[in-house]
Amino acid sequence: MSVKLFELLLQASIYTVTISVVSILIGFAIAIFLSGMLLSGRGLFVRPAQIFISFFRGVPLLVQLLLIYNLLPVIGINVPSIVAAIIGLSLCTAAYQAENLRGGFASVPPGLVESAEMVGLTPRQIFRRVKVPIALRLTFPALVNEAILILKASSLVSVVGIVELTRMAQDLAGSTFLPLQLFASAGLIYLVINWLVALAGGLIENRLPGAPR
Amino acid sequence: MRKNSLLKGLVGAAVLFGATISAHAADTLAAVKAAGTMKVGTETAFAPFDFIDAGEHVGLNVDLFNEIGKELGVKIEWVTLPWDGVFPALEAGKFDVVAGPATITKKRMERYRFTPPLAEATIAILKKAGDQTISKPEDIAGKKIGVGKATAQLDQLKEFSEALPTKVDIREYPAFTESYADLAAGRIAGVANSLPNIAFVAKQREGTFEVVLPPFGKKSYFGFIGLKDADHAPLMDAIDAAMLKIKADGRMATLQKKWFGASFDTPDSVKDPAF
Repeated sequence: MSVKLFELLLQASIYTVTISVVSILIGFAIAIFLSGMLLSGRGLFVRPAQIFISFFRGVPLLVQLLLIYNLLPVIGINVPSIVAAIIGLSLCTAAYQAENLRGGFASVPPGLVESAEMVGLTPRQIFRRVKVPIALRLTFPALVNEAILILKASSLVSVVGIVELTRMAQDLAGSTFLPLQLFASAGLIYLVINWLVALAGGLIENRLPGAPR
Repeated sequence: MRKNSLLKGLVGAAVLFGATISAHAADTLAAVKAAGTMKVGTETAFAPFDFIDAGEHVGLNVDLFNEIGKELGVKIEWVTLPWDGVFPALEAGKFDVVAGPATITKKRMERYRFTPPLAEATIAILKKAGDQTISKPEDIAGKKIGVGKATAQLDQLKEFSEALPTKVDIREYPAFTESYADLAAGRIAGVANSLPNIAFVAKQREGTFEVVLPPFGKKSYFGFIGLKDADHAPLMDAIDAAMLKIKADGRMATLQKKWFGASFDTPDSVKDPAF
């Protein structure tokens, strides 16, 4: 297999990485909002968040992508392929990340919150200085997991017309008749990307407040 | 295939449901001219019409749509999808016309509008070079034959298989390129696809593949595909006129020679397809 083919795979992997990173970040922002709704304890907020999460966790991502790409134009929103891909991945990961965050906040020991109240911290301070650091630390490994899952799931966005790593490998395998070399190379590129994500995750985790030194 | 039909059904049902609330109406030709670009949907796994050569999307469609673009005075923007996603996306308005091309069939004509044919689409068998067990189309009885899913070639292969003493073991692939790869790897005995496609593949891979003649399907043609509604009529009329002009001044024959090695004698329009 020529260097040229490997370069093409690397170029296509830029799509894989960009779409995944943007989606994970947007998804995280939505997830913060959703977990806030879930933890509010008010049916008015909890119910819609639960419906959102059960839809985006319950429908296969492939179907979600096809729906977003083919259905939104019907109501007059004709999004380009790249936008459809990012919307699909973001909403899907938001549902999972929201549950992670909810679990993290729910696991903050009530005793710690009570102690913080005892020493006179305001609710705002308790949230920022006690709840967020603990929840972040508890949910961070799950966030790294989710990032890796989304990177791999991004291969599905080829159904809405994005030529990312997997699709490029398929296209090149079709024209060069070198499926083994191309898919092995694509697998290797995914492995390296995800290894880097895991490595970065580990480094950040050790720097989070409360990390063992 | 099952999963795929279900999925398409779901999207189709959703689109039908949504169509009733859609009030988006405009003359597509005017919109295309105003934008200066015409969006064309296709899959890039259908050599020599559309394929990826060293990372570049090339083929007869690319050249021919460049000429059509010149005639209409617009640029061409390509949207590439898996083939089974192309028609749902056309109906969803993701692009103005589909390249493909698609075999002109009665069933498709009920729903879509075809341009003048650009090539013959009659189907034949591609086998591994030197395979003595297949010397005529009927020899595929009982053998594993690959074909693209959601294609007219699949329908024709099924029809042909019914008439054989032992049925063909039909293997459906997401794209034809994958079936060629499996043929090269010896997992299937042949691939059923239109003659221009397999002739091109056999020429590219001399010593690996061979075409089994004669073609077994009924004589059919390839056309580009658009929507039938009034909004799209001016655009489709303009594309038809451009293609007939390109055919009349010999550019079509030049492109056919470039990509098929020979030019075809195609009718100006297909009113009554063979199947």
